Amino acid sequence: MIDCLSGQPTSNRNARPAGVLALVLLLLLLAGCATTPRLDDATRSAIAPRVLIDDMPFHGQRDYQCGPASLTMVLQHDGVATDVDTLIPQVFTPGREGSVQPEMLATVRRNGRIPFVIEGRFETLLSELDAGHPVVVMQNLSLPAWPLWHYAVAIGYDLQEETLILHSGMEAGRKESFKRFDATWARSDRWAFVALPPGELPATIGAEAALQAIGDFEGVQGSEAALPAWEALAARYPHNAMAHFGLGNARHAAGDLEGAISAFGNAAAANESLAPAWLNLGLALEAAGRRAEALEALTRAAALPGRWQSHSREALERLSE
Amino acid sequence: MKKLYHYLSPLLILALMLGSLPVVAAPAPAGGMITTQEALAAERSQSDRERIHAVLARDDVREQLVAQGVDPAEVEARVAALSDAEAAQMAERLDQMPAGASVVGALFAVFVILLVTDILGLTNVYPFTR
Repeated sequence: MIDCLSGQPTSNRNARPAGVLALVLLLLLLAGCATTPRLDDATRSAIAPRVLIDDMPFHGQRDYQCGPASLTMVLQHDGVATDVDTLIPQVFTPGREGSVQPEMLATVRRNGRIPFVIEGRFETLLSELDAGHPVVVMQNLSLPAWPLWHYAVAIGYDLQEETLILHSGMEAGRKESFKRFDATWARSDRWAFVALPPGELPATIGAEAALQAIGDFEGVQGSEAALPAWEALAARYPHNAMAHFGLGNARHAAGDLEGAISAFGNAAAANESLAPAWLNLGLALEAAGRRAEALEALTRAAALPGRWQSHSREALERLSE
Repeated sequence: MKKLYHYLSPLLILALMLGSLPVVAAPAPAGGMITTQEALAAERSQSDRERIHAVLARDDVREQLVAQGVDPAEVEARVAALSDAEAAQMAERLDQMPAGASVVGALFAVFVILLVTDILGLTNVYPFTR
């Protein structure tokens, strides 16, 4: 025992100043990483200098329940009749003492609204607020080593003051500086989404992300519920073949055969190598009794290599007989 | 006992085969239209194997949610509302996913560090620092 101690002279005399120095350096390093986000000029001139979505209901969170509270606020703003007590069993996971991101999106779908995950940029967030869409954001309020995950609803901003306005936790309309907000938001990889009724699209969404969001919604709520969303998407992106294709299927499911034929036609025109568009166009024309046009479309489909080719050939053979 | 197995095992094999059939047969509806979901999956060059995997992932998520204390009566509707990609993601790492809860579970030493970072405007743990 004594041997062990005698081998150690009083070497830790200088440990405290060194530790303090290390801590200060660490904090300076961390502070250097976080700066006030700079908006690009195009966004700055395109959006209003101040925005506050004022008809936004507020629900303070109870223990661990910022997820259900945030969802209640955006869904009620969208006109869904729901409350926190209804949403807790739909999204809260007791074992994790919180709500996970996929289930936040799934719960929006269950309640008949489409969740669009927006691009994680400050400009995108402000543009959506400018368009009047409240944005659910995920933050890590603490440091990565001891995470404190939190959902809040962004409801406005002030470019002059550089503050974001949020319904967060127990506080309605809390003002957070752009700098502090962005530091906490960046730790969730700037995850954020808007929840919109079918037929409305986010101001900033790209065609691919919108296709995915509407397709996923349709998988849960069915084609007829998704029809207005496909109409809106095809109108926003008239050159996107898949948007017209989705519209065609939704119209077909709703019993609008002529509408479906015109949408499939637009899809095939926008991308001539999209085999499912030709195939569905042919089948819809066949159902409408337009045999000659159906044969033409199915021939185009059967000529395209890929996973639908054998399927198209069968349909063509059946019609040719 | 051995005799019992003799009769049971073929039955079991048959049941398992039948159980797996609808999954394998799901893509390629004969003569019907291609759904938007199928076409989107094909565009993302998702293979049939991945799609079968997605079906199995849902069973996995169902079990995990029950294990995490979700009311079994709610589980079915919750899993049904997930997209394939979300179900696969949850099946893989539900226990490590960030779960929004906003409650600190940290120690006192951490309290001091977070207090300083709060004052520096890097974090937002304690409301009184603003």
